Amino acid sequence: MRKFMVAAIPVATLIVFILVMISGNFLKKPLGGDDDVPGSIEKTIRSVIDENWDEAGTMADQLQRAWDKVVARVQFSSERDEINALSMNLARLRGAIIAKDKSGALMELKEAYEHWEELGK
Amino acid sequence: MTEALVVFVRAIISFFSLLIFARLLGKEQISQLTFFDYVNGITIGSIAATITTDLSSRAWPHWVGLLTWVALSYLMEIITMKSRYAAKFLEGEPTILIMNGKIMENVMRKMKLRAADVMELLRNRGVFDLNQVDFAILEPNGQLSVLRKPEHLPVTPKDMNIPVQPSGISTELIYDGIIFEENLRQMGKDRKWLMEQLNMHGISSAEEVFYASLNSDGSLYIDEYDDHIKKVTDIGDFKGPF
Repeated sequence: MRKFMVAAIPVATLIVFILVMISGNFLKKPLGGDDDVPGSIEKTIRSVIDENWDEAGTMADQLQRAWDKVVARVQFSSERDEINALSMNLARLRGAIIAKDKSGALMELKEAYEHWEELGK
Repeated sequence: MTEALVVFVRAIISFFSLLIFARLLGKEQISQLTFFDYVNGITIGSIAATITTDLSSRAWPHWVGLLTWVALSYLMEIITMKSRYAAKFLEGEPTILIMNGKIMENVMRKMKLRAADVMELLRNRGVFDLNQVDFAILEPNGQLSVLRKPEHLPVTPKDMNIPVQPSGISTELIYDGIIFEENLRQMGKDRKWLMEQLNMHGISSAEEVFYASLNSDGSLYIDEYDDHIKKVTDIGDFKGPF
């Protein structure tokens, strides 16, 4: 039993480490109703295309909340550069929505989606 | 998200990964390491450090890099253990620098050693006169093994026909005031015997003892916390507290 534990504990430890390190791709997917980042991006894109700026602002807030929840889960398994880049996209998106800048907002949203795709890969 | 928390978690991952991998790779001492082993160790340590603090990329690819280096090192160990030829090729082999008292200049040139380097290595082995050296062999770990000429070898009890007691290793009986019952049992002694021995040395309790060991000839080494030293030898240059 002792011999088994001597081998099992390091193996189990390494498995836990591996799971923590590769969990990003799984943990970024929506686990609840309010953490769907790609869904929120899609909704915000539609609002921006329709130039419905009030709804776009609400959607951007929802996107920010979803992102904040996801970041807490994926921070240990994702590159900080991608996290920072996506956060910057969301900050610039809010500015574009206030300025009612359609092209700027769409650029930020599309780039944010690209960062989302790369996150934890 | 706090960077410090991420670094903390990553540090735990790299620390214990490194610990497990180091145990897997074996117990080679620093002095036994070849130059490649040394560089290998530095690289593995560097990758582990990157896992901890390089937050610009994920831990996983670095960890795979660490695992690959460890796996390759392990593979090399296995190969060198199984194949004598591979061991010679991968780890190098001992080289004779001085043969029958003559310096092998060609070998020195090949090993990129100067005469001063050889003299330094000899001095490290306690040899200051080249006339005393019969053979000097440069080991793959960079250390020099020296065989002195028979006339310069130290006299042994056997040369003098002096009878000697068989030597052996000592066994710890007390450390930090705690008696090791298991060791006592192995040596065929008991706590009563130990206390009698301590009493003979004017010690009333094991808690007064920092270290005690039993030698194979039956003699006991005892070091008390109170060393009763009247004149302390101080080799420091400063008076201060450090």
